[in-house]
Amino acid sequence: MEHLFTNLATALTGWMITLGLSPVWADVILLLVKWIIIITIITLNIIILIWLERKVSAFFQERLGPNRLGPFGIFQTIADAIKLLTKEDIVPSAADKLIFKTAPMFFIVVAVMLYTVIPMGQGMEVINLNIGLLFFISMGSLSTIALLMAGWGSDNKWSLMGAVRSVAQMISYEIPLAFSLLGVVMISGSLNLQDIVAAQDNIWFVILQPIAFLTYFIAATAELNRGPFDMPEAEQELTGGAYTEYTGMRWALFFLAEYTNLVAVSALMATVFLGGWQGPWLPSWLWIIIKTYGVILVFFWVKWTFPRIRMDHLMSFSWKVLVPVSLGNILLTGAGIYFCQWMGWC
Amino acid sequence: MMQSDIYNVNVGPIHPSTHGGLHAEAVMDGEIIQDVIVHLGYVHRSVEKIAESKTYQQFVPYTARLDYLATNLPVLGYCQAVEKLLGIEVPERAEYIRIIMAELSRIASHQIAISATGIDLGATTGLMYGMRDRERIMNIFEMTGGQRLLSSYIRIGGVGADIPDEFIPAVQSFVNDIPKMMDEYNGLMTGNEIWEARMKGVGILSKEDAVKYGVTGPNLRASGIAYDIRKAEPYGIYDRFDFDIPARSGGDSLDRWNIRIEELGESGRIIQQALDNLPEGEVKAKIPKVLKAEAGTEVYHRIESAKGELGYYIVSDGGNKPYRLHVRAPSFINLMVLPLVCRGGVFQDLITNIATLDPILGESDR
Amino acid sequence: MNGQGLIKGLGITLKHFFQKEITEQYPDVMPELATRFRGCLQFEFEKCIACGICVNSCPNNVLSFETEKSENSKKKKLLSYTIDFQYCMFCNLCVEGCPKDCLHFDHDFELSTFSRDDIKRVYLRPAEMDEEKEADAAPVQDEQESKEQKQIDAMLKALQKNPQKILAKMLEQEEDIGILSELMQSNEKTAGKIAELLVKDKEKAAKVAAGFVTKEKKNRLQAEKGGEE
Ligand code: SF4
Ligand code: SF4
Repeated sequence: MEHLFTNLATALTGWMITLGLSPVWADVILLLVKWIIIITIITLNIIILIWLERKVSAFFQERLGPNRLGPFGIFQTIADAIKLLTKEDIVPSAADKLIFKTAPMFFIVVAVMLYTVIPMGQGMEVINLNIGLLFFISMGSLSTIALLMAGWGSDNKWSLMGAVRSVAQMISYEIPLAFSLLGVVMISGSLNLQDIVAAQDNIWFVILQPIAFLTYFIAATAELNRGPFDMPEAEQELTGGAYTEYTGMRWALFFLAEYTNLVAVSALMATVFLGGWQGPWLPSWLWIIIKTYGVILVFFWVKWTFPRIRMDHLMSFSWKVLVPVSLGNILLTGAGIYFCQWMGWC
Repeated sequence: MMQSDIYNVNVGPIHPSTHGGLHAEAVMDGEIIQDVIVHLGYVHRSVEKIAESKTYQQFVPYTARLDYLATNLPVLGYCQAVEKLLGIEVPERAEYIRIIMAELSRIASHQIAISATGIDLGATTGLMYGMRDRERIMNIFEMTGGQRLLSSYIRIGGVGADIPDEFIPAVQSFVNDIPKMMDEYNGLMTGNEIWEARMKGVGILSKEDAVKYGVTGPNLRASGIAYDIRKAEPYGIYDRFDFDIPARSGGDSLDRWNIRIEELGESGRIIQQALDNLPEGEVKAKIPKVLKAEAGTEVYHRIESAKGELGYYIVSDGGNKPYRLHVRAPSFINLMVLPLVCRGGVFQDLITNIATLDPILGESDR
Repeated sequence: MNGQGLIKGLGITLKHFFQKEITEQYPDVMPELATRFRGCLQFEFEKCIACGICVNSCPNNVLSFETEKSENSKKKKLLSYTIDFQYCMFCNLCVEGCPKDCLHFDHDFELSTFSRDDIKRVYLRPAEMDEEKEADAAPVQDEQESKEQKQIDAMLKALQKNPQKILAKMLEQEEDIGILSELMQSNEKTAGKIAELLVKDKEKAAKVAAGFVTKEKKNRLQAEKGGEE
């Protein structure tokens, strides 16, 4: 079981070479196949995830959640997707049409790119990038631009307010986000995600870096625009924020991208802090799925408990609390590493 | 020097957090509110004019539509006003039943205020818990009056029918659970740091301003004046009950919120006493089929509704219909302080303030 | 403070996560309704005495009915009863007012219909209510008519015999009475008309009579003028 997917990949390459393809072309085709698989997984995953969030939030509120279509209402999301696909596509007449239309596509492309570097199991990633973590952070911050495009292109005050909020928020939270990961990088000595996983052979980084874990969790919630930091959307205040003017499938793309981001960030959290695909008995790719879903459930739990924070508090929380704390964590980690080396433990 | 343009944002009449058809036009400088212009009238149904074309009894169901979240309170106010006008004596048992229904309505209204504040501030789960508890009150209303929301149970001269057998156990168990509910709201929302940060010091309404504007109800009490008509000018049999009037001094959103939660407990105390002392007997006075007041008589009767002082002014010209009926709607007057409390705050404070001022548009627009 | 409130909140939601859901499963499971629940307004035709209390107490003009006066008794006969349900606000005033308990609310709350016309319900008089009486009701009607005809005939005779006396009840001036009696003698149709009206509706008869007189006066005036020329 463990090497199910890697063996499949090797078999595929071998088969292609026997067909007479040069190894380079075989690699390219394999990459394409990997991409297609990832996109399929993402889509399927999102369908389950949306259903799961509705179900979980319902349980928190003593409701039943979707229960009409299929067992436990599991096909509800599919029905919703069909509904969204058949809806009228409205583009406001005053909108900047090009920006308005490209924003959702841009958002989802950026979100899917995140999956390139995440190790889905032992030796299972699209590209084994040696700056994987850096790639992930920089790709993640690109989604700000998509939101700004959506807000600006819509020519709507609510959208613009949402977009401006999201830019302010994401830029502020990028810093503690990166800083909190630095501690991990310092210990493992690598930006390659597979190396980071390997470094957690004995002990998970969540135990070595609890402060970093917490700051990363908070900053990631803000990066994901999830409650209690869902400023850009802010249903009850900005009536949907940057997404106000979007309908049908365009809106659904934003929705999909948000969940795609959620899975990616949760997977990264599982990789960096929770030992990645490492775990006993079960195959590695199952472990990462379990851990990712565990993190996602915590995200759900937080969102469905807390009220939304106020914009100015949000900013001051980032600059006055999270940034100093994560900086302090770097200092502490450095001191710890120095101490270890001095004692000759590592 | 940074320069920014002033722009207007229309919050409502179609907006998730405006509690019906409120239209607040916010004049904004960035995220800072410079002024708020309140536009009313989207739910205007000319209730006062309708009253002039209906007999005294026929108008009873319409009053419930004023404050549709605490339906028994406006009905009680109107019925008592007419009884005052005509000198009708209400049987003892009916008075007690009316108190129970009125206080249940107050709780229902406060629970809506609590849950709506929850959802307006993004705590969706708070909404569901508040609604879940309110459901039990709705079931009690259904038991007595046959309808859940607009139960049309209180009548001129008493109540529509005697309480059914299952009424007292249901009310009793609800009253017993009130402290538990309060704990839950407090635990989920009040004690939450994010919640506190969003509410504390937001939308401060000073004592002087509150009096100047004529604010009444929980909003006035949050500003430091323990004024409640149930105590100040007891109507019905409120003078027989022992209860406190919660008051705070800060006048900010958190105080307004806390007052409502505390009032749940006080209402529970009143209901408990009413249940304990409920006498036997008639529930409706013998009144003529056609009610007529002497020409030229007039009456003003006020009660403490869930939102504040709810007054009815009735003038009779001798016919079986009021010559003129005026409603002093607390929500209308309370809404007028919205610009005052919002100025200088950020945009999100506007939402908080609307939620904690707890206006009901059916009443303010009439 | 310092995050305790946040953790407490998380604890509360977690506790509810494992509690039983309270969602009502309508339409799979019908909700339990209180005995007094007001669903759809129902009307029982047999009991109704057409007193009109319900119509008068309804604030929204939902109810209306049509009656027919029976000829042999003072009782009104209810022909149809209409509930224009779209205006009903379920206030129960009509039910409380009805002395015969013919109105009541049932527990059916699924009141939506496909077209606006379906909301209005008209109860027609059930056939079996009339069947028992019809047998003797029909001849009564005939008798009634012939009775009236006899009266009119008698009146006509009386008018021809002694017009002054009867007409004095309707007209005030002697001159007018004279004119009218002359008119009636010369024109049988006019006499018949007045006799019929006298039996059925005295006031109208007086008016019509006055009308005849003024018309005749005018005619005579014109005739005089024509003669002079
Ligand atoms: S319930 Fe009220 S509104 Fe409906 S028919 Fe009866 S009196 Fe009229
Ligand atoms: S009040 Fe009752 S008996 Fe009278 S007309 Fe109405 S339904 Fe018939």
